[in-house]
This record gives sequence, structure tokens and C-alpha cells, in this order.
Amino acid sequence: MSATAIQRPAAVPFDAWLAGAAHDLPGADLGWLSAKRGAALDLVHASGVPTAKQEGWRYTGLKPLLEQGFVQEAEEVTALAPEDIEDLLIPGLNAHRVVLANGRLVPSLSWVDGLPAGVRAGGLHALIESDPDLLRERLGRVAGEGAHVFAALNTAGMDDGFVLLLDPGARVERPIEIIHLSLGMDEPRLAQPRHLVDLGQGAAATLIERYVSLGESLYCTNSVLELSLGDQAELTHYRVQQESPRAFHIAGVYLSQGAGSRYHGVNVGLGAAWSRTDLVVRFAAPGAQCDLDGLYLTGDGQVMDFHLDVRHEVPGCASRESFRGILYGKGRAVFDGRVFVARAAQKTDAQLSNRNLVLSRNAEVDTKPQLEILADDVKCSHGTTVGQLDPQSLFYLRSRGIPLNQARRMLCLGFAGEVLDALSLEPLRGYVAAEVGRRLERAALD
Amino acid sequence: MLSVKGLKANVGEKEILKGLDLEVGPGEVHAIMGPNGSGKSTFAHVLSGREGYEVTAGSALFEGQDLLSLTPEARAHLGLFLAFQYPVELPGVNNTYFLKAALNAIRGARGEPELDAVAFMRLMKEKLKVLHLDDSLLKRPVNFGFSGGEKKRNEIFQMALLEPKLAILDETDSGLDIDALRIVADGVNTLRSPERSMIVVTHYQRLLDYIQPDHVHVLAQGRIIRSGGKELALELEEKGYGWIAAEAA
Repeated sequence: MSATAIQRPAAVPFDAWLAGAAHDLPGADLGWLSAKRGAALDLVHASGVPTAKQEGWRYTGLKPLLEQGFVQEAEEVTALAPEDIEDLLIPGLNAHRVVLANGRLVPSLSWVDGLPAGVRAGGLHALIESDPDLLRERLGRVAGEGAHVFAALNTAGMDDGFVLLLDPGARVERPIEIIHLSLGMDEPRLAQPRHLVDLGQGAAATLIERYVSLGESLYCTNSVLELSLGDQAELTHYRVQQESPRAFHIAGVYLSQGAGSRYHGVNVGLGAAWSRTDLVVRFAAPGAQCDLDGLYLTGDGQVMDFHLDVRHEVPGCASRESFRGILYGKGRAVFDGRVFVARAAQKTDAQLSNRNLVLSRNAEVDTKPQLEILADDVKCSHGTTVGQLDPQSLFYLRSRGIPLNQARRMLCLGFAGEVLDALSLEPLRGYVAAEVGRRLERAALD
Repeated sequence: MLSVKGLKANVGEKEILKGLDLEVGPGEVHAIMGPNGSGKSTFAHVLSGREGYEVTAGSALFEGQDLLSLTPEARAHLGLFLAFQYPVELPGVNNTYFLKAALNAIRGARGEPELDAVAFMRLMKEKLKVLHLDDSLLKRPVNFGFSGGEKKRNEIFQMALLEPKLAILDETDSGLDIDALRIVADGVNTLRSPERSMIVVTHYQRLLDYIQPDHVHVLAQGRIIRSGGKELALELEEKGYGWIAAEAA
């Protein structure tokens, strides 16, 4: 105990990251908000920088991240015009759109009009100023305990993000697309978007969360998304990470599910030099279902790390986690999938799988599925595979005249197909499939 | 069309083909029969360029070109087609997408323009009609979850679409019941033409009731030990391979 006390504060570089924004954060006069930020900062100080000795950080070193002097700043990006983001849009996608630039909402590019009654949508920054009571009980409720140091860092620097609140029974038919845009700045920038999605009983929505950049600049995104599903609520959530090839991407998705609610999340990881995604699911009441699909592509100069923590604390819930990875060049990936089934969580149905296609000798994946089951009447399974392209399949394609590299790409896309098909919005599916194809084409598949 | 001379090939240390000779002219259908382990499938694979075989001697010329130095895709571009004994399942790869990629790869290699989606669909419909097939197989992943008969039908459909000059049918009859066999054989017969040669590799005479060959060869212990007309197949059916192998020894 005393040893930790001695080592403590100086070792935390994050204070400097926050210093730029600290005095300009909204709602500084709100006692409860300052208390939340302050408690989170204390937590950041108490936890310090994670080391490789901690299980959750064993495979992905933080050194490259800590070498950068990232700075969070509070100003809005005002100079963006619609044509600046044209190339980043998904052709044919009919969606409400919210654009954030460097972590701040850009009202001129955001359209969430025409939402049905019982739906509130807006920027966190604006809501803190106009209607803070809406947020008081909600902020930090799902991403509270057990969240790691970066989630605490996000809370300490909470500024802007997207807030979606659905009253019981409200349904948003069109998907809502949140585009996180990063722009290169003189100094490496830290953006800490903070999102809150709260679906009342029987409410339903579809969310598309995208991370994109203009140019290939160096920056760090550290986002937190809190999802709260009331009884029988339904949320479909697509998440596509296409950060700049030099970027650092840290994301925490924290989900709490009410009785009989359904959540389907599809996570696609394509970009960033260094990324870490935590998906944390907690079932609050019986009869809920959670499906988590994932696809990651990682090549030269990329490290991609996914951590799943699915906690079955109550009986009769089902979860399915299915992640697939394609690794090429010197790509590295980590899949750490943990499913916990408490003694009380009888009749749990949990299926965890992670399959990897390793296309080069120099690529590496560490996969660690963990099923921890304390109940005795459950249906649970887990499986992982790490393999190469099947030579027979390659020969079959080549014997039909398809050149070797194209045959390889076709098989990779086939491998990814199951996850791509989980993107049940066609414009999105087609867009992501093309992105995957484009990246495989650029990569020298050896 | 195809001229194979003194072909020897190893799998690992073991010599499987021990000096095989075969001449196939345009439009001819040749049946290669032989007992299990005689080298029939090895021959089909070596011709189509599958990895895992080492050619140690001999040559195979296709319209005067050295086939053995080419990649499998280059052989397909020249007009070679192998109908697999065990067609490979490709989960996640849509059959239509696959067929279009194959056809356009071959067209591209021959300097012909690629077919667009509409022209391709039209061509597929036409070929389905010729073979009396429905389009249910096209929407599924390649061979994935197909029955044995569906897989073989898919092979024949690919052959119809890619219009090879030389088709090698490797044990196309294996695992088929009589109805499926008839459908596949009808398809093959429809595709016979003066410009298209075929090598039909089979263990049983049964297939040759439906696909009538111009020539029949018996392959045993890595070489062709007897050639003749279609009556040779009937003789084999009656007397078995033992008879001819004993005679050759």
C-alpha cells in the first residue's frame, strides 16, 4: 500500500493532456458535474499509467502513446464546409447525421431534425449549458465502476459529444450516424468525445458511429459511449473505426441492458496505428440478448486491441460474441474476450468465438477467450482459431482463371463476409466491404 | 490440342506418373479409366497446375504451348478447365460474384472487354437455360452446403460459362446417384462441340453409358497401358482391371 503511495502522482502524464481544456469545460459552475470530473481525475491519479504487468494491458504496450504530448483543447472547429466531408460520407446512406470535429459538435454539418416525438438529440456541451438536469443522473451511470484509466480520463475532461434520449416506446426509424472527424493541428490533439444513449422501455434506434480523418495526421481519440437500454428496448449499433494511419484510438463502449432488451453491435476496426477498444456489457435484468460481431484488419504499423467484458449477473440472458481478424504485413492484434457468468445467472446462453486469418509470417495475434462460469445450468461455448488461407480454395479459384492476388482477396472477403453481412444496412455493408477490399488491395499479400 | 509425352510426376518421394503419353485432338472426348491409385487424379491435377506435384520428366503441350511452366490461372486463360472431383466449398464467397470474377479474368487475359453486370446476368440466364438448371445455386456461397449433385452441377455450369477448349472431368461421377449422374452427363453432352475437347477421368464404366467417348485409355501404375474405342470400356466392365494389368505385365 505504502509503495503505491510513494510512486503515485508524478508518473501520470495525463494531467498535461487535460491542462489545455481544464478551464473551459462547460458546466464548471455545476457542483455535481465538477464533482464527477474531480472524482474521475482522482481515479486517474490513483490508477496511474497501466503497465504490462496488469492483465488487461499485457499485450499492448502504452509506450508509443505516452511518448506523444497530446493536448485536449476546448475550441470548436468552425471553418468546415459540407464539401470538406463529402468524400467521407457513405453513398446512398439515408441517415440523421451528427458531425463532431476534434471532439466538438459541428452544428452546421449536423442534421437531426425530423425526429419523432419523445426523442431528444443534441450535443453534450450544449445540453450541459441548457438542460443539465437531464444529464445529472445519467452521465457516468453505466461507465462508472470498473472502467479503466482512459474512461476516467474521458470523464475528467468531459466536454462535448452526442446525447440521444428516447422516451418509453419512442422509435427512430432512420439510423443516426455520428461522424467523428479528426483534423490535423499544429500540436497532436486529444479528442475526448463523450456520448450518452438512453433508450426508455420499448424504445428502438439504430446508431452508426464512425471515426474518420481528413489527412493522415497524428492525434488521439479517447471516446466513451454509455448505452442504457430499458426493458424491451432495441438498439442496433454499427461502429466503424477508420482513423488516420498515424492515429491513436481508445474507445470504451459501456452497455447496460434491461429485461428483454436486445442489442446488436457490429465493430469494424480498420484504421489507426494503435487502437484499443473495450466493450463492456452488463445485464441488469433477465431475458436480454446481446450480439457482438467484430471484424478487424491490421497491417504494417498497426496494433489493434479488443477487450470484451460481458457480465451475466442475472439469469436467462443470451450473449453471442463473434470476432474475426485478418492480419497481414507486420500487423498485430489482440483479442481478449471475457464472459463471466455469476452463480445466480442460471439459463445463461453465451457463445464466444474469435477467428483469425494470418496472411504473413510477420503478423501476430494474441487471442484470449475466457469463459468464467459459476452457475451450473448454462449453455456456454467458446472457440478460437488462427489459420492461413486454404491452399485448396486458392487453387480452385486460380483454376478458374482468377489471379493469385485476387483469389487471396476474395477468400479474405469471404472470411470477413459473415461479419459484413451483419451490417444489415446495405449502403453501409457495401461501403465497408469496399473499404476492406481496398485495404487488402493496397497491402502486399505475401 | 493436347500433346503429353513421357510425363513423369512425383508426390513427395513417390513416383505416381511413370511416363504417360496422350494425344487429344480438337473436339475429341477421351476417357481415362483405371483402378484406384493408378494416377488418374494426379494426371488431372498436374495438367491443371495444382501444387504438391513435382514433374520430373516429359512434356505437356497445349496448342503448342508448354503447359507445365504456367500458373493455374494462366492455363485457365488458355482455355483449360478442371471439373473437380471434390469441388471446394467457399463460405462467404457468393457464387455469382465468383463466376463473374472468373469470366472477366479470362476475358481480360484474352484482351476482351469485361462484361458488365447486365451483360453477365444475361449470359448466365442463357447458360442456365441450355443446361436446364435453375438459378437457385447462384445466390448461395460457392459450393457451400451444396449436395454432391449440386456441386457437380455447379462445376458443369462453370464449364458452360467459361467455355474452355479442353475440359478435364475428374471423377465427375463419384458420389452421384443415377438421376444426378444423368443431369451432369446431359450437361456435358450439351457442351460437346467440334472446338471443345474433353478428358473424362473415371473409375467406372457407368459414366460412359451417358458420355460416349471417342477414345478410351486404361491408366495403370502411372502409364497408359491400353488404348481403344468405346468398346474397351465395356470389356473392362466385364473383366475388371486385373485382366488388362496382367496382360500388360
